[in-house]
Amino acid sequence: MSARAAEVARLWRTRPRRPFVAWSVRALGLIFAASWLLGGFQASGWLTPRRQANLARFLHEIRPWPVRDTAWDDGAVRAWMAELWRLHGGGALMATLAVSVAAIVLAAAVGALAAPLAARTFACPEPFVRGGRPPRWTSRAAWTGVGAAVRFGLVVLRAIPEYVWAFLLLALLGPSAWPMVLALAVHNAGILGKLGAEVVENTGTAAPGALRALGASRRQIAFVGLVPLGLPRWLLYVFYRWETCVREAAVLGMLGMSSLGFWIVDARARNRYDEMLFYVAAGALLVLAGDLVSAFVRRAVRRA
Amino acid sequence: MRPERRFGATGSLGASVGVLVLGLAAAWASGRVLDLRAGDLAPGAGGWQLAGDFFGRALRPALAFEGAYDGGRLGVVLQAGRAAVTTVAFAAAAVSLSLVGGLVMGFLGSSAWWPGRRAAAVTVPVRLLAAAMRSVHELIWAVLLLAAFGTDRLVAVLAIAIPYAGTLAKVFAEMIDEAPRDAAGALAAAGASPLQGFAVGLLPRAVPDMTAYAFYRFECALRSAAVLGFFGFPTLGYYLSASFENLHYGEVWTYLYALFVLVLAVDAWSGRLRREVTR
Repeated sequence: MSARAAEVARLWRTRPRRPFVAWSVRALGLIFAASWLLGGFQASGWLTPRRQANLARFLHEIRPWPVRDTAWDDGAVRAWMAELWRLHGGGALMATLAVSVAAIVLAAAVGALAAPLAARTFACPEPFVRGGRPPRWTSRAAWTGVGAAVRFGLVVLRAIPEYVWAFLLLALLGPSAWPMVLALAVHNAGILGKLGAEVVENTGTAAPGALRALGASRRQIAFVGLVPLGLPRWLLYVFYRWETCVREAAVLGMLGMSSLGFWIVDARARNRYDEMLFYVAAGALLVLAGDLVSAFVRRAVRRA
Repeated sequence: MRPERRFGATGSLGASVGVLVLGLAAAWASGRVLDLRAGDLAPGAGGWQLAGDFFGRALRPALAFEGAYDGGRLGVVLQAGRAAVTTVAFAAAAVSLSLVGGLVMGFLGSSAWWPGRRAAAVTVPVRLLAAAMRSVHELIWAVLLLAAFGTDRLVAVLAIAIPYAGTLAKVFAEMIDEAPRDAAGALAAAGASPLQGFAVGLLPRAVPDMTAYAFYRFECALRSAAVLGFFGFPTLGYYLSASFENLHYGEVWTYLYALFVLVLAVDAWSGRLRREVTR
């Protein structure tokens, strides 16, 4: 073996290893293989004659009905779209947007209140101060309890999907926009609370620690030390989550509330596939516009 | 140096406060558009009754079926276990499919992959396609595909896989483009071809982040797969909604706890993986 090959072999043997990552990748690969082998997702028999006929009908009927059996006519299609927009589309689009905004502001407010209590550097007897005199065990136990309880509550909020929250809240509150708004707010409060706690923990201990050493109270530290330092990064997360909120707000209408999703399933139930596609496209454009606005705001916030 | 930078703040405080004020104004306007009233937040008499019945079972989830169907003493628990396994199977099939699409489109859409000026001719169409795929939510894809093909398990898998492939393509392309170029540059200076530089110098720097993100998407896919049950696929959402509509609230809690445990387990797994990778 040449010296070079020996060196390569030595480097390969002494490469940095991450056994947990390696085994995780293998385990996930096994789960993938097992689900394809045993899950019953066979593609064979996928396009049966009946299904082909169904597909052909679908492809025929997604053409806007004024031009379904005639040549394409821009004017007729435009008039058809304007009518759909006037009837339901415009209102549903506004409702979808409004639900997403109301929900993300509620979620951000709850998340911001929960974040310091979930942060390990804040929910402790002496926030942001290392060393010093040892705290009393009662104080330590109380703060450990508060931190653990808030973190667990946030996990519960975010573990249940928005759609399930909306389903349950709709039954409890009856029909209004609240179930949609609250479902999105609850799920995202769980996520933003966790991300906010990370922001607090990563803000560094220099400024808030110095305030604490000067005798500042927790509330004073929060307003003078944490908010100015953490707000920009926090807003980046809020806008990331808002992008998801726009997508979900459209979907939650499927449960019977007046966002775009309602008109999508309504058109499907009436077998009006052209209308269905119109509402789906309107939703997609809203999502893309939301992503653009969010990217613009995030760039403005990040620039220092 | 501006004062807030000295303490490690990331970003502009002035712009942030402006955004905050605009956000609150937008929320107020949204409340007006939706006609949100605090009074509507209180459930009616029937709502309180339902809330009492429902939350009363929170600490007493059902073990056996509450209806006439006899599945043994642990019938619901076994059913929840089976539904959880099915949920994992749907999520795994969807994520593996979206990984294939996301990797191909991610490579094609990253500018690092394409040397020279021809890049935009390929990256722009690929990125537009990915944006279109992810701009439609998986449940809306499900409605579209169900209308086009009829009911089939593969429809649920495709409904999740299409938007997820669009998201993975975007994130993978960004990770490849943002990976440090030092090793690839050194290889190029030593005479390596662009392909060699990409495969040996650039890609290995991006793979750990890509792995961690793939695990995170698996976690998201579990939630999506569970919710697809509301459309009739045999995942947790199907049994959850059926039990709720039959007023079997104890069973609902059993399925909710099953979903909770499932998501929590994968959350812990992918969280630990992320920490190991970014360490």
